[in-house]
Amino acid sequence: MSYAYLFKYIIIGDTGVGKSCLLLQFTDKRFQPVHDLTIGVEFGARMITIDGKQIKLQIWDTAGQEAFRSITRSYYRGAAGALLVYDITRRDTFNHLTTWLEDARQHSNSNMVIMLIGNKSDLESRREVKKEEGEVFAREHGLIFMETSAKTAANVEEAFINTAKEIYEKIQEGVFDINNEANGIKIGPQHSPTSPSSPSGGPGSSPGSGCC
Amino acid sequence: MSYKERLTRLEKLLRVDNLSKRGNTNVGGDSPNTAENQEQDVEETNDSIDLFELKNLVFHGLPGDSQYRALVWRLLLNYLPAKSIKSWDEFLVKKRNNYKHFVNDLLVIGEETRERNFDHPLNPEPDSKWQVFFKDNDVLLQIDKDVRRLCPEISFFQAETAYPNEQVVSGKMDRLHKRVQSVVLESSNVIRKGLGITKINPKGPMNQDGAETGEYHWEVVERILFIYAKLNPGQSYVQGMNEIIGPIYYTLANDPDVTWRENAEADTFYLFTNLMGEIRDFFIRSLDNSVSGIKRMMEMLMDRLKLRDQAVYAHIVKLEIHPQYFAFRWITLLMSQEFALPEVLRIWDSLLSDHKRFDFLIDLASAMIIHIRTELLTGDFPSNMKLLQNYPSIDVRDILTLANSFSTSS
Repeated sequence: MSYAYLFKYIIIGDTGVGKSCLLLQFTDKRFQPVHDLTIGVEFGARMITIDGKQIKLQIWDTAGQEAFRSITRSYYRGAAGALLVYDITRRDTFNHLTTWLEDARQHSNSNMVIMLIGNKSDLESRREVKKEEGEVFAREHGLIFMETSAKTAANVEEAFINTAKEIYEKIQEGVFDINNEANGIKIGPQHSPTSPSSPSGGPGSSPGSGCC
Repeated sequence: MSYKERLTRLEKLLRVDNLSKRGNTNVGGDSPNTAENQEQDVEETNDSIDLFELKNLVFHGLPGDSQYRALVWRLLLNYLPAKSIKSWDEFLVKKRNNYKHFVNDLLVIGEETRERNFDHPLNPEPDSKWQVFFKDNDVLLQIDKDVRRLCPEISFFQAETAYPNEQVVSGKMDRLHKRVQSVVLESSNVIRKGLGITKINPKGPMNQDGAETGEYHWEVVERILFIYAKLNPGQSYVQGMNEIIGPIYYTLANDPDVTWRENAEADTFYLFTNLMGEIRDFFIRSLDNSVSGIKRMMEMLMDRLKLRDQAVYAHIVKLEIHPQYFAFRWITLLMSQEFALPEVLRIWDSLLSDHKRFDFLIDLASAMIIHIRTELLTGDFPSNMKLLQNYPSIDVRDILTLANSFSTSS
């Protein structure tokens, strides 16, 4: 199927927070309470529509354990978006966010959009991390934030799509160099390679200008 | 060789008659015990097992109804000394006692520490026994979560073992998962990839009064992995080890011979330790360039694929499907996550019988790619990634035969 853009995502966070379940809910619309451990990476893809344009998402789901960190790092480069996931019923997964964020910032391109996700919102009775805490952390670190439930599918679509919207807006603003595939964005085959910037063509679109 | 001939050959190689005389009753069940057979054995009163010939035979599949698998794996993984069957009784007593000491020293001591007063939970000294205890619990928590999701498509690991740890059952030693109970998964139902449904119980087995009695098989696996992690602090526990220990424990705990079966826990520990000794590079030095490292293994896979199927190789390279996207897991876990357990056992018979362990694993991986070449050649990046990461269910004998044709031709 043809598409306007292809965005690459990476999903990161501690083991057992529900990364693979979020991906499965988004790509297959189903929930699997006990998932095989992720060893290395797993891959998923889906088409979404933003602003009337078809956007293909390619998502890399990573292993959460420390021992696999060096592999995960090699996937940051080439990602336009990252979903940083913690488990609202496990305080330790929230406490580790800073480490994850440092890792992500250090190994990704500076424009990568990061969405902070507090997963397992269906388990309200076992909640250990307040929603406000997630919001504060996100604000302090310039992330978008959302609580989701891979089990009930609450906010799962929104999490993936809002991340894409943010990336799309950055493209419109000319922040992303879309000719550089290392940024995790690819222009679809239907688009003329001679006019890589968006049709609306923001005046500030200057490929390779880096961060503003 | 016919099936029957192969079975006879295996029993002869394993010296099944000799084994049953050792007091290990029932090894081999109704093994041929005719006068002719005994005469043949008299000719070879040799006390050793020919490992080379055993590998040659088992490489092509284990004859018999899996009843010899546990014994064969004990030999292939260099646990039982093949050179001297006579020494086995003494050897096994020693090893199993050693394991018992590990359990006592590493698990029971922790109990005493909590009761003594010289140390306390807020003691910040890194060598405080409490600090060690807390650090151990991080590892334990990880193991606990992983063993609970071990092979959910079969009910075995969620079933009760007939041979629990006596100290646990009598209440002298806490259940390991009690140490990390507050954070344990509360999954009531477990589903995996449409293969079947099993239930997970957060607690140990209970009697009618609701008191916990025996132990589940996963609790046994949890103990082995925790002891391994304690004894190998440099490596500790890495996710995926649960998938490696699973087939070993399953095989040993299902041995038809009760004298072997009741020692499944201790023997699994040693088999797992030996196997990890050979594949540890896959786990810790994940991205290095050493000869046995995972990166080198993946390079070998692509080199061999290029030689054997230029078209598929070129297509995969063109699509930028790198081996680390799929073969990392294949190789690290010795295919244990790619197929259902019975197929994994069959594959491991060959992998463990490989004279150049684990070279055949690379041939097998390339055979898996070539086996689905038609689909791959017409597929794009996402569809091929899905295919390679969710390998279709096939008759594994097809890929084993294909892989074998490579290794014999090269």
